[in-house]
Amino acid sequence: MAVSTIYSTQALNSTHFLTSSSSSKQVFLYRRQPQTNRRFNTLITCSQETIVIGLAADSGCGKSTFMRRLTSVFGGAAKPPKGGNPDSNTLISDTTTVICLDDYHSLDRYGRKEQKVTALDPRANDFDLMYEQVKALKSGVAVEKPIYNHVTGLLDAPELIQPPKILVIEGLHPMFDERVRDLLDFSIYLDISNEVKFAWKIQRDMAERGHSLESIKASIEARKPDFDAFIDPQKQYADAVIEVLPTQLIPDDNEGKVLRVRLIMKEGVKYFSPVYLFDEGSTISWIPCGRKLTCSYPGIKFNYEPDSYFDHEVSVLEMDGQFDRLDELIYVESHLSNLSTKFYGEVTQQMLKHADFPGSNNGTGLFQTIVGLKIRDLYEQLIANKATARAEAAKA
Amino acid sequence: MTTIAASGLSVATPRVVVVPAVRVSAPVRLNYPWKLGSMNRMVVVVKATSEGGISDKVEKSIQEAKETCADDPVSGECVAAWDEVEELSAAASHARDKKKAGVSDPLEEYCSDNPETDECRTYDN
Repeated sequence: MAVSTIYSTQALNSTHFLTSSSSSKQVFLYRRQPQTNRRFNTLITCSQETIVIGLAADSGCGKSTFMRRLTSVFGGAAKPPKGGNPDSNTLISDTTTVICLDDYHSLDRYGRKEQKVTALDPRANDFDLMYEQVKALKSGVAVEKPIYNHVTGLLDAPELIQPPKILVIEGLHPMFDERVRDLLDFSIYLDISNEVKFAWKIQRDMAERGHSLESIKASIEARKPDFDAFIDPQKQYADAVIEVLPTQLIPDDNEGKVLRVRLIMKEGVKYFSPVYLFDEGSTISWIPCGRKLTCSYPGIKFNYEPDSYFDHEVSVLEMDGQFDRLDELIYVESHLSNLSTKFYGEVTQQMLKHADFPGSNNGTGLFQTIVGLKIRDLYEQLIANKATARAEAAKA
Repeated sequence: MTTIAASGLSVATPRVVVVPAVRVSAPVRLNYPWKLGSMNRMVVVVKATSEGGISDKVEKSIQEAKETCADDPVSGECVAAWDEVEELSAAASHARDKKKAGVSDPLEEYCSDNPETDECRTYDN
């Protein structure tokens, strides 16, 4: 005997009614069954959880290596918006949108010259607009964001930005304004020491006509007071600080090729568990080169210790030296814990994928990749948490 | 110049406007050889705004900054001038990187924008 079940669907308008809760943009459908007293709830969520990451970096805007590594961890290459202003600073990939905070300059280059302020000065930036737009994007509303054209130095017509899953705001002042700071789910500060900054700027600018050692030095010196007053204090609010210092392995090194990089991770941040070496909370000094691993000069040295940074408890993981070969990288990765990788060797794979990026053979690349994985982990935890919270609210 | 008032139409013949002409390379045989000297020698050259533009800007801004700071090295103008130099140098280096990266295969470019098309599908296993 054939058994068939017949499902009768009742017209939507007769016995269904809709309520929407504005806070989380969810739609609940209630279907009233005249026979039974049970209520069937179907949940449709049209909201998209957006997490906001802040990255404080000097003279880097969406095109920096850090951004490219970060977007690569999430998958897909980030590209400027198609068909828009070719001088746009925004990068968009499938999951991530990177916004350059220079777009929120209230004064363009000529305005700043007139008012005699640098771009580092908060007077040259519109923090109200920044706060409003980041808040809007976080709650799933598209915004028309202004464009600051770095080539002409003028503010161009705005472009439409759709709310992404992960929003990264990169620039000089992501953590300056308190309201914007509260919107950030995770914040990173890239702290380059003066010697390394000088060496990098020389590398970058010596090819330019008109630049000389003195002009590069004068440029850094002139910006220093504003930098120390406005940008540097943001360090204390960051959840992770990547400090780049000259190496201690080579005495009197002034080439700046070998770097000592410290990853300072704040303790007690929600969804963020710091990376550690061997034993959490202890002090370890580790030189992986020896019998099992042979490294070339100057080798690699790791340090891990708990510390206090601006009155916060932090864990510091430090790497001095360079990777020369693939097996050094995988060896190091296998000894680090809490990396938030999905499979063994993921850090190495990500580093190799972008072997042509600067910093791929030292701590800068390694820690940037690790921070990228941590952010992915944070994102997934946040999503999972919100999903369970919603499910519980629906059951209640 | 002449207006045909009778028909109500005013046709004004346009005055001859000297337009910068493209330079004529070969010597031109003129019917009026005394007009040779009055040939227009202006040449319109179309210059594409390229990376060369930014490099020039950088150079100019450095000179300006040096001049501004010669008077007073700690004034707001001096600091703002060097900040401008920094911004332009960064823009110039980005432009250089983009140019270097831009020398790519047209197929690659097409595929990065349209990975789902038949020519661009990749099988990774």
